[in-house]
Amino acid sequence: MPEMETENTNSTTTEPVTAENPDEKQKKTTYAAVYDPECLPDMLPVYYRRLFPHKPFYRWLSYGLSEDGIFVNREISFTLHDDIYIRYLCFETQQEFEKELCTRCPFKIDIGAVMNTRPKNNRISAAAMAPVQRELVFDIDMTDYDDVRTCCSDKSVCQKCWKFMAVAANILDTAVKEDFGWEHILWVFSGRRGIHCWICDYEARHLDTQGRSAVAEYLQIINNAMGSNGASVSRVFIGERMHHSVRRAYQIIEPAFEEIILRDQNLFSSPKGIEKLCNFIGDEVARQETEQFLLNNVEDGAPALKVWEAFKRYANSMRCNATQSVWSRRLKNIIEEIQLACLYPRLDINVTKGFNHLLKAPFCIHPSTGKVCVPFNASVAGKFNPTTVPTIAQLLQEINAFDEKNKAEDEADEKSRIKDYKKTSMFKGVVVFEEFVRKLETSLKAKSKKLNEINMEF
Amino acid sequence: MDFRRKSKARVERKPEYENLEQKYKHNVLLYRMPPTEDIKIHEFEDLALERLKVLRILEQAQAKSLRFLSDDWKEYVHDELSREGLKGYLRLCTNGGNTAANNASKHEFELQARRRDYISHFILRLAYCRTQELKSWFIAREMELFKYKFSAMTPAEIKQFLDLHNLNYVPLSAEQKNAVKDGLIESTVGQSVAKIEMLDFYKVPFTQVLDLVRSRRCYLKDGQAYVNTHDFISIVGTKQLEEIEHGLKSAQRLIREVETDERLFTLLKSLHTSYTGKDYTVGKDVKVPIESIDQLSKKSFPLCMRLCHEHLRTNHHLKYDGRMQYGLFLKGIGVTLEDAIRFWREELTKKMDPEKFAKSYQYNIEHNYGKKGSLKDYAPYSCAKVIQENVVQGSVNGCPFKYYDQSTLKQKLAAAGLGTAHIQDVAGLAAKHHYQLACAKYFQVTHDTNVEVAINHPNHYYLQSQELMGNRVEKKSHAGPPRKSTKGNVSGSQSTQDYSVYMNADDDDELWNIADDTQKTFESSTQKPAAKSTDIAWEDDLDLTAIDC
Ligand SMILES: [Zn+2]
Repeated sequence: MPEMETENTNSTTTEPVTAENPDEKQKKTTYAAVYDPECLPDMLPVYYRRLFPHKPFYRWLSYGLSEDGIFVNREISFTLHDDIYIRYLCFETQQEFEKELCTRCPFKIDIGAVMNTRPKNNRISAAAMAPVQRELVFDIDMTDYDDVRTCCSDKSVCQKCWKFMAVAANILDTAVKEDFGWEHILWVFSGRRGIHCWICDYEARHLDTQGRSAVAEYLQIINNAMGSNGASVSRVFIGERMHHSVRRAYQIIEPAFEEIILRDQNLFSSPKGIEKLCNFIGDEVARQETEQFLLNNVEDGAPALKVWEAFKRYANSMRCNATQSVWSRRLKNIIEEIQLACLYPRLDINVTKGFNHLLKAPFCIHPSTGKVCVPFNASVAGKFNPTTVPTIAQLLQEINAFDEKNKAEDEADEKSRIKDYKKTSMFKGVVVFEEFVRKLETSLKAKSKKLNEINMEF
Repeated sequence: MDFRRKSKARVERKPEYENLEQKYKHNVLLYRMPPTEDIKIHEFEDLALERLKVLRILEQAQAKSLRFLSDDWKEYVHDELSREGLKGYLRLCTNGGNTAANNASKHEFELQARRRDYISHFILRLAYCRTQELKSWFIAREMELFKYKFSAMTPAEIKQFLDLHNLNYVPLSAEQKNAVKDGLIESTVGQSVAKIEMLDFYKVPFTQVLDLVRSRRCYLKDGQAYVNTHDFISIVGTKQLEEIEHGLKSAQRLIREVETDERLFTLLKSLHTSYTGKDYTVGKDVKVPIESIDQLSKKSFPLCMRLCHEHLRTNHHLKYDGRMQYGLFLKGIGVTLEDAIRFWREELTKKMDPEKFAKSYQYNIEHNYGKKGSLKDYAPYSCAKVIQENVVQGSVNGCPFKYYDQSTLKQKLAAAGLGTAHIQDVAGLAAKHHYQLACAKYFQVTHDTNVEVAINHPNHYYLQSQELMGNRVEKKSHAGPPRKSTKGNVSGSQSTQDYSVYMNADDDDELWNIADDTQKTFESSTQKPAAKSTDIAWEDDLDLTAIDC
C-alpha cells in the first residue's frame, strides 16, 4: 500500500470563519456565507464547472509535454463522496481530465508519481509499473507545533499560529533555492492547518529515493527527544560550527522570535513556561539547575519576555564562568538552539522521502472547512491569512452575486464564464498559480530551445 | 558471469607477478571490470569464504554498535582480521595506497591480496544477487569494506587512485575558492579552519555526495556541493555503490545459467548461511555419556538446544527439523552413535511403535553420523543456519531469540531461571534482531560471568560453557587453520578433479548475446601454455566467460 497523506476528513471540528479583517472587495459577501459540510456534494459540481482552474492545472502537470508520458502516465486519485477512494486514475487530455472532474466531483484529488506506463493498467502490469518522476514535496502541519503554541491547539489555527507557517515557508523556500538551486516552487495552503510545497524543477522531479531522503534530512534539523515530564520535546544541536543553511535559517528566525514566541505565544511565562523553556536543555543536571534558578529569580507570573531575558543572562554567565562545564561545551549554543527549536520548519519528512507518495492537489476543497487549497507566495507568506481563505460556500455566493448584477447587462457572454474565478476571492490564489506555471513553461521552452540548438550543430 | 560448459580444454595458469601488477594497480580498486583469469573451483570456494569472513567481521562490528570508522570500530575489525588470519585484507584495509614496491616478497603478497580481494568480490555478487535481503546485506558490508580501505589513504594516494580510475576532478582555483570561502569554513565538517585554507576543494553535483548532504557536512550552493580531498570517500563511494548495484542486477539476470552447474549452484546458494569457523563435525576429544545430558542441558546448552531437549523429554516427540538440529548438536558435543540411538529410541518409543523407530528413525540418526546413505559426516548447524531455519507451528527448531514473540520468550527465559532485569536485557536484544548478542547475554547471565563471548555456533557455546566451568580445556589441535565446512554442501568439490573456472577479459554485456561464438574463447584458451591438460575432464570444464556482474 503506498503512503497516503493522512488527514481526518470525517472530523466535524471547524474553526470559525472569522471575518474580522476581510479583503476590501469581499466585505459584502463574506458575512453571509457559512460553510456547511453537509452541502458540499451540492456545491462541488458548480465549483468544478465554473471555478476550478482547469487550464493552468493541466498546463502545470503537462510540463509543456517536455517528456514522454509526463501527463498521461501521471497517477491521479479521487476521493469521492462517502470516502470511496479510487487510485491509479490517469487521463489522456485536458478535456478528459476536466470532464471527469466535473462529472465525478471528487471531494479530494491526490497527485501521485508519473509512472513508466499508464497507471490504470496497473492490474495488467503491476509488477512492472514503477514511478519515473515526481515533484519533490514538503508537508508542514500546524499540529507539529503544539508544544510551542498557546493560542490554539490541534486542528484549529489562527493568524498568530500562521506566523509559524510563514517563517517555515520562508526558510524552506530560501534553502531550496539557494542551496539546491531550484526555482519552480509552488506553495499551497492545505485547507485547514498546514502547508504543502511542490518543487517542480527537472532535477528535483527526477531525484531518486536516496536523493529525496538526503534532501529531506538535510532540511530537518529538529530532533524529538523525551522531556523531563515525559512529553516529546523538540531539540536542535548545532555542534562545533553552524552550517550555513542553519545560520541562514537562524537569521530569519532571530528577528521573529520575540514577536512570535515571547509576545504572541508568551510561551515561557512563569511559572509553567519555565518548565517548557528548560525542557529544551538536553543536559539533565543543567536543566534542573536552570529551572531552579529561574523559579527563584523571576517573579511569579512574569511574562515570557522577562523569563527569556533572565535565561539568556544565566546561560551567558554560566558559559563564561565555568569554562570546563557542559555550558561551555554541549550547551554553548543553547540560546540559538532553543530559538531554532521553536521556529525551524517541522517537516513531515516521510512525505518528502516517498517517491510514490500521494499528496492533495492544489485547488481541492477541504471537506471539513470548505476552504480552497489556494497557492500562496512564500516571500509574502506573512501576509497570507488562513482564516480569510474563501470557502466554497463563499465563492458560490460571490459568483451568484456577480451573475445577478450582470444579468441585465450581458446575458450570454460565454467567454466571461471561463474566468469566473476572477470574480471571486479565489482570484489571488489563481494568479499566484498562473504566474508559477508561466515561469515554469518559459524555462522549459528555453531549455528545449537550447537543446535544439545543440542538436542543430550536428 | 558465464558458466557455459565449454567444449575445449582449459588449463590452469598461475597468475604471474608482472601480470598482477598490471591488473591490480592499487590497494583500493573500484570493482568495475570482471576478473580475467582461470581459477579452480577450490579457489573459487576459498576466495568466497575468505571474503565472507571479512564481511562477517564487519557485520559483528556493527552489531556491537561500534560507530563506523571510529577508533573502537577500527580496533575491533583490525583485531578480528588478524585473529582470523586474514592478513591480506588487513594489509589492504590499513595500508591505503602505499605499496611495498621496494620489498619484492611483501609486494607480491600485496598483489596477491589485491587479486583475492578483487576476484572474491565478483564471486560473492553471484551468491548475493538472489534476494533483496541478501543484496542489502552484501551492499552494506561491501560499502563498509570499501570505505574502510579508502579511509586509510593520504590525499596524495587518493589523487593517484582518482587518476587510475579516470575520475578527473579539477580543484577550484584560488580565485574560485576565495569566492565561496566563508561557506567552506562554515560548513565543512571535520576539518579545522586552518586545514580548510590549505585543502583543495572540488565542486560536484550534490547527488554525488548524498551522505555529506544528508548530514550537512559540506557547503552547498545552487545544487553543487563543495568537497575536499578527504570527502572523495563519499563521491567514490557513491560510484562504487552504483557499480555494485548494477553488478548485482546483471548477476541476477545470469544466475540461472550459472546454476546449471550443480556444484556452483549449491556453493552459491548456501554461501550466506555457511559457517566459516570450526565445523564441530565430531566431538573428537571427549565422549559425552548420554546420561549426563539432562544435567548438561541446563547449564551448558544454548537456549535453542535446551528447548529441543526439554520438548523431547516432555512430549517424547520432535519434528524432523528439530531432530536434525538437535541430533547433530549432540553428535558435535561428543555423544556416540550408540548412545544417540539409545537416547532417541527411549524417548520416541514412548509414543511410537519400536518397529517404526527402527525402520525410519534409526536410519536418520545413522545417516547423520555418516553411517548410512551418502556416508557423509554431517556438520552440526551453526547459528547462521539455526537462525535461518524455517519454523513451523509446533516445531521447536530454529533460534528461539528469533522465532518467539517477546512474551513467550520472556516466559521461556523465566523458566530457565533468569531474573526480571536479565530477562529484559536478553529479550531487548532479541527484539532488536540481535539474536546472537541476546544469546551471548543469556550465556553471561546463566554462567554468572562478565566474560565477553561471541556466539556463532551452538557447539561453540557448549565448549565455552564447559571451559568456563573448568570441565574441559581447549585442545591445541584446534589452533590450526580453521577448516572450511561447506564441504558438507559441495559434495565432491574436494576431490582431485581439476575444474577450471575461466573468466574472460572481454566483459561486455554483448558477450552474453554471442553465446554461440565459441570460436573466440577457443582461441584465447589455446594460446595458453598447455602444460597440464591431460587430466582434465572435458565436460566438466566450466567457462566463466564475461563476468559482467
Ligand atoms: Zn493560534
